[in-house]
Amino acid sequence: MEAYLGIDVGSVTTKLAVLNKDAELMAALYLPTQGKPITTVQEGLRQISEQLPKDLEIRGAGTTGSARYLAGVIVGADLVRNEITTHAVATLQYIPDVQTIFEIGGQDSKIIIIRDGIITDFAMNTVCAAGTGSFLDHQALRLNMSIEELSQRAMESQKPVRIAGRCTVFAESDMIHKQQMGYRIEDILYGLCQALVRNYLNNVGLGKEINPPIVFQGGVAFNRAIVKAFQEELNTEIIVLPHHEVMGAIGTALVVHEEMSAGQRESQFKEFSISDLEYHTSSFECKACPNLCEIAQLSQNDQVLARWGGRCDRWERSPESSRH
Amino acid sequence: MIKVGIPRALLYYQYYPMWRTFFEELGAEAIVSPVTSRVMLQEGGARVVADTCLPVKIFIGHVLSLIGNCDFIFIPTIRSIRKNTYNCSKFLGLSAMTRAAVPEAPPILDIMVDVNKGRLRLYQAIYRLGKNFTPYPHKIRQASLDAWRTQLKYRYMMSNRGLTQPQAIAKVLGTSTPESQVESPETKTTIAVIGHPYLLHDDFISHRIIPRLKQANVKVLTPEMLADTTLESAVMKVMGRIQWTCESEIVGAGEHYLRSDVDGVINVMAFGCGPDSLMMDVIRRQATRLRSTPFMNLTIDEHTSEVGIITRLEAFMDMIYRKQRARVAVCG
Repeated sequence: MEAYLGIDVGSVTTKLAVLNKDAELMAALYLPTQGKPITTVQEGLRQISEQLPKDLEIRGAGTTGSARYLAGVIVGADLVRNEITTHAVATLQYIPDVQTIFEIGGQDSKIIIIRDGIITDFAMNTVCAAGTGSFLDHQALRLNMSIEELSQRAMESQKPVRIAGRCTVFAESDMIHKQQMGYRIEDILYGLCQALVRNYLNNVGLGKEINPPIVFQGGVAFNRAIVKAFQEELNTEIIVLPHHEVMGAIGTALVVHEEMSAGQRESQFKEFSISDLEYHTSSFECKACPNLCEIAQLSQNDQVLARWGGRCDRWERSPESSRH
Repeated sequence: MIKVGIPRALLYYQYYPMWRTFFEELGAEAIVSPVTSRVMLQEGGARVVADTCLPVKIFIGHVLSLIGNCDFIFIPTIRSIRKNTYNCSKFLGLSAMTRAAVPEAPPILDIMVDVNKGRLRLYQAIYRLGKNFTPYPHKIRQASLDAWRTQLKYRYMMSNRGLTQPQAIAKVLGTSTPESQVESPETKTTIAVIGHPYLLHDDFISHRIIPRLKQANVKVLTPEMLADTTLESAVMKVMGRIQWTCESEIVGAGEHYLRSDVDGVINVMAFGCGPDSLMMDVIRRQATRLRSTPFMNLTIDEHTSEVGIITRLEAFMDMIYRKQRARVAVCG
């Protein structure tokens, strides 16, 4: 039985998805990266293989997300693709007439504008993380609350309090101030959700033409209060798909499927058993010029698989170049 | 021989051949600082207040790297080169700021260029600069005429022959260009990259945006490849008047390329740059209004990781390729 694997290694969570030859989802997995992308990918492969039939043959594998190059080397990816393309491809598969995609993850957020099934514009957040999941995580932590509880409590709000959402630091001092004034915690929490939405629309969504249908995905789409805040702010329906948190992985698998079936190539995928292999990462400072680049390298049994991080290609080594 | 140090930053990209000709004609030698490195940013950044923009921090780093290699450092104050059009305040105060931030620097040669004050004042300023090297006014006059001729030739190479500033500098100096001018025949995609030359052509600041695009077999167009008249009339069309000296690099080039047949326009700006934040917005709105050409803005600051730039570039190119493929599928 043939299948295609997509892996999305984000800053906070890692997502895996396996599609069959008709592009139907066979298995999906969502697990925290915990700052250890390599072992998380290995663990993810082990867990997802248990959900799959034994006679499965992976005809193509791809990676996306901020650790896509690292993950690509480990699993033997046939292609490594950016998050914008993969998210859009996945959403188009389920909602062909989608015009706007909101994606809010742990450390970054994006907006993708689609017209007639083609990406026409996109934006990602810059230096500021105020409109992302980590903003909520941080506040939940401070209130000694799980992120699920934060979402639930916020939904109970009757009269939301306005929180300054320009910056995480200001939002926090504003929240403390409102708490000390005696406002109800539910109202403060929903105010926080509204602040995140405003921040997202004013930063990432700046100058973008936001037309329905709007699809909201990424980890933050789990938060029903944020969905509600978006709906109120834009006065339109916000679609949250069942597998919204693994859309990047699904999109990667779809792109792999498309390219591998067209090209008749043999997959480079290294089998699920790579979860037993030992990988080492290390880094060193290159002293060849005053740039002092920090070179990171990935090795297996003393053999260097890949190096990156340099401003020139002195140390660059990818599996392709070492094969020759 | 007197050695004049020229920092390879900011106005270097627009005027180096002219300055070099002037100093060489007067019997001095022009010494250029090496290409930007991380050490320069670290050392330059440590000398100025945190709010200073990235290009100025790097400029100070270049000045520091010239200490010990030259007798003077040349930091002109280009206040205005067009009537009622002024340069960013960071350029106006550059020599004074450098003197304060780098007290151990060799004497700074300054020249105030402000065309609003009339020709006479400009000639006097050039004469004062030249007097550091020769007492003879006719030699200064000859050197400045030769320098101006070099500048016109340099500008012509870019606007009429499609060279970038680094390529034209190499050509004027007679050094070989590292990359060949011949474009491979299969380059089907053209991207215009707009922004200040000191961002676009400094491989450290820009994270090699232009070489990366060229490597991906993309033809890259930059603002200096357009004639000044084209740039200025494009600014006038959008804004009604020209306010900033550097406005044509972004508003002019942006407006022109958005209406041309390029496949996409990328604007590169420095985080914390006042004029850039206004000019970028003008072009972004224009791109939304015209809806003809995909547009992306890349904001660069000293913490920008290369990964962030690569992801955005990849996504932008992917968007354009998928669009081209979809168009082929519909037509054929």
